[in-house]
Amino acid sequence: MKNILDETRMLASSTCNHYLEEAKKQGRKIIGYFCSYMPEEMIHAAGMIPYRMRAVENDGTKRADAYYSSINCTFVRLCFNKALAGDFEFLDGVVFVNGCDHSRRMYDNWRYAGIAPSFLHMFFSPHTVNATALDYFALECSKLKSSVEKHFQVSITDEALQNSITLYNQKRRLLGDIYSMRKNKNVPIKASEMLSVMLAVTAVPVEKAIEILTEVKQFLSGRVVSRPEDLRLFIAGGCIEEREHLELIEDCGAVIVADNICLGMRHFFDEAQSAGNGLRDIAERYLYHLSCPRMMGDFERRFQYLLDIKDEYGIDGVIIEKLKFCDIWGGEIYLYRQETKKHHLPLLALERELYGGGAGQIKTRVQAFLEKLKNRQATDEGLVRAAGSNYKVK
Amino acid sequence: MQYLKWSVKFFKFGYYILTVPTLAYWALKLARPLYVEKETFLNRLVRWSFLVIGGGTLPPEDLGAFRYGLKAFYDNIENASKAAETGRPVVWVEWVLSSEIINAFDAVPFLPEMVGVFGNMSGQAVPSLVVEEAESLGFAPENCSAIKITAGSFSLKQIPSPKLIVAGSHPCDSSVAAYQGIAHLTGAPVFYFDAPYWRNEDAFDYYEKNMWRLIDFLEKNLHRKMDWDKLKQVVENENRFNFYMQEICEMMRAIPSPASMATPIFAWMVREVCIGDANATEMARRMYEAVKNRYKKGIGIVKKEKLRVLWWNPTIAFLVHIFKWMEDEFGAVVVKDFIADVRMPQVDTSSQKTMIHDMARNHLYLAMARQCHGPVEFILSELGQTIEEYAPDCLIFTGHAGCKHGWGVIGIIKDYLKKRGMPSLFMNLDLFDQRHATEDDIKRWITEFFRSNGFV
Repeated sequence: MKNILDETRMLASSTCNHYLEEAKKQGRKIIGYFCSYMPEEMIHAAGMIPYRMRAVENDGTKRADAYYSSINCTFVRLCFNKALAGDFEFLDGVVFVNGCDHSRRMYDNWRYAGIAPSFLHMFFSPHTVNATALDYFALECSKLKSSVEKHFQVSITDEALQNSITLYNQKRRLLGDIYSMRKNKNVPIKASEMLSVMLAVTAVPVEKAIEILTEVKQFLSGRVVSRPEDLRLFIAGGCIEEREHLELIEDCGAVIVADNICLGMRHFFDEAQSAGNGLRDIAERYLYHLSCPRMMGDFERRFQYLLDIKDEYGIDGVIIEKLKFCDIWGGEIYLYRQETKKHHLPLLALERELYGGGAGQIKTRVQAFLEKLKNRQATDEGLVRAAGSNYKVK
Repeated sequence: MQYLKWSVKFFKFGYYILTVPTLAYWALKLARPLYVEKETFLNRLVRWSFLVIGGGTLPPEDLGAFRYGLKAFYDNIENASKAAETGRPVVWVEWVLSSEIINAFDAVPFLPEMVGVFGNMSGQAVPSLVVEEAESLGFAPENCSAIKITAGSFSLKQIPSPKLIVAGSHPCDSSVAAYQGIAHLTGAPVFYFDAPYWRNEDAFDYYEKNMWRLIDFLEKNLHRKMDWDKLKQVVENENRFNFYMQEICEMMRAIPSPASMATPIFAWMVREVCIGDANATEMARRMYEAVKNRYKKGIGIVKKEKLRVLWWNPTIAFLVHIFKWMEDEFGAVVVKDFIADVRMPQVDTSSQKTMIHDMARNHLYLAMARQCHGPVEFILSELGQTIEEYAPDCLIFTGHAGCKHGWGVIGIIKDYLKKRGMPSLFMNLDLFDQRHATEDDIKRWITEFFRSNGFV
């Protein structure tokens, strides 16, 4: 019998799904978006469904390679290839974000290719976190609001915004609850399963997402997927959407218990305030939420988040990864290397292509890393035994 | 600081020898066989420098103007090197930004990417060695080599340590990512400019607010107030500099072109290092006089201009002399390039508010910022306008490995040029690191491109 995780797995592996088809039949518009800096509430308050763009079911980058170069990242090339192939025809609009150089150029390429849908909007997200940037973020929110209202002849009311904030906060809370279960010694959900949940709940109406998450939360009660000998890992990175990749890591003898990835903590960490200030509340949540390395001068806050949860989640090691040619995560890896060393946190840095294969190489590296972690644990325990009560951690 | 020390020695030597530009011109011309062909152990310390100042092919009057640029260079580097003795703080200013405000705090603005260009004075392999150092520290290989050179130079103690750093979010992700690493490496407080995506009043206002925040940041960290009179003086110098350079760029529309691209490129480097310096402005004035004189007489910089070339993307730092090489070999004159072209609006110095207001706009029109911080239309409109105004026969695109945003619209650019019937050469290289493509590779590609299109 199929359970809720089977359903999320199915939803995660397809570009479109029956919930979206049903909503379309009811006349609801679907708006695709890139990046965790795009405020979903704005789209929802317009009576539409925000849909996180993805590269699942891709058939390579052949068409997109006529627009992009081989030194652009695979996520954008795969997504754009799907767009050129008509895989996103069910969308009524796309909101782009200047998340990185590769993705911001999709706004240009999409327009130049002249493919559907007709509503294409560039949402500018500042690269700094401060009061000036907050004002500008709020201004961009109001521009997005006007743009949606004008194009679709709808009105985004303060009341609707408030309602959307409430719903999305509810979704965030549920995700937070499910994530918190991974603090337990017995982990009820693997990261690969969690990724499917994330992909699913970013591709269905939020009302449905809440139902799914409620069910997932109930389903996980009392469930145990981790083994006692599993090492507990934190993973940081940008775009990870292949379940198999996380399965590969976890199958090596680990369980990923926390993260800072696009389809992870970054998506739901921090709620929007319901202070009745509408756009400003939304702007504040999105600008100040757990940041991506595209935010300059915010590394301390990002890394502090890892330090804060390190003990709570019992993290043994950290994996950070980037897609090839990603400057932003390349920069973050440098910083992680310095700081994890300082805080005695074992780190593995991986570089890969999205849906790019190379599983054997990754597996070898992960196995070696986990072995190193186990040896470290074994040595420490050995020292404890040898030193008896005089043992002190270095 | 062995590389920059050698640069200072050479700048000083150049400054004095160019007191008599005709003498320098002939000395460079007669010695050409010793350095023009390729870099050897014997000419390694002078070849790049000799070639950048024309290698005996730039007229003496242009050389005379370069002299003031050399003075501005060594003044800046010496001020930065002696900062500890003089008590003036060194403030690094990332290469796509501008340093007027730093001057107004009586601090020494310093271009930390400098070794990427001046390192070549000690041999064309030097920037690559510095990049390697940065990569060995852990900086990402895909990050722009210009910024990796900053990290490598600092690590190798080739540049003075900063008291503060001013960096920005444009033109690319490398700036965003690598400067966070550099902040960590140096430990210096960093001010991050955030460039808007659009070019409208809201965007300009946002950037202006960034500038006011910079002033607060500097006041707080340097424990001193800004000298507005000094800023006015610097900006007035800059206005004149920009006026002269803009006029030169405009005059290069003439057929034949009265100036070699070697001139605006040299001036661009001066702008990067010390905009607002009186010597920089004097250099620009003299350049302008020399070019205007030829323009009036209808004289081209080469005797027989056979080909007019548009150069897109920044100049290849280890091969700045490519422009003179193309002129000498093929009579091909680069009449417009991406980075030396000056299109900045003048700054109204009548009040503090107007200065900051206009400087915000001015900075978003600096090369790189102008073309790269927004949609592809920023690139296409400039390309289109240039094709209309400069009557180029072809375009050469220097595809820098670090410029992912440029590569992200390469299909559009190629298609646009094809529709305009513009023969184009797209080169894969690194502007600062010749390990990707060497001088020989680049010269060969250009030669084959000209030949295959029947230009030569």
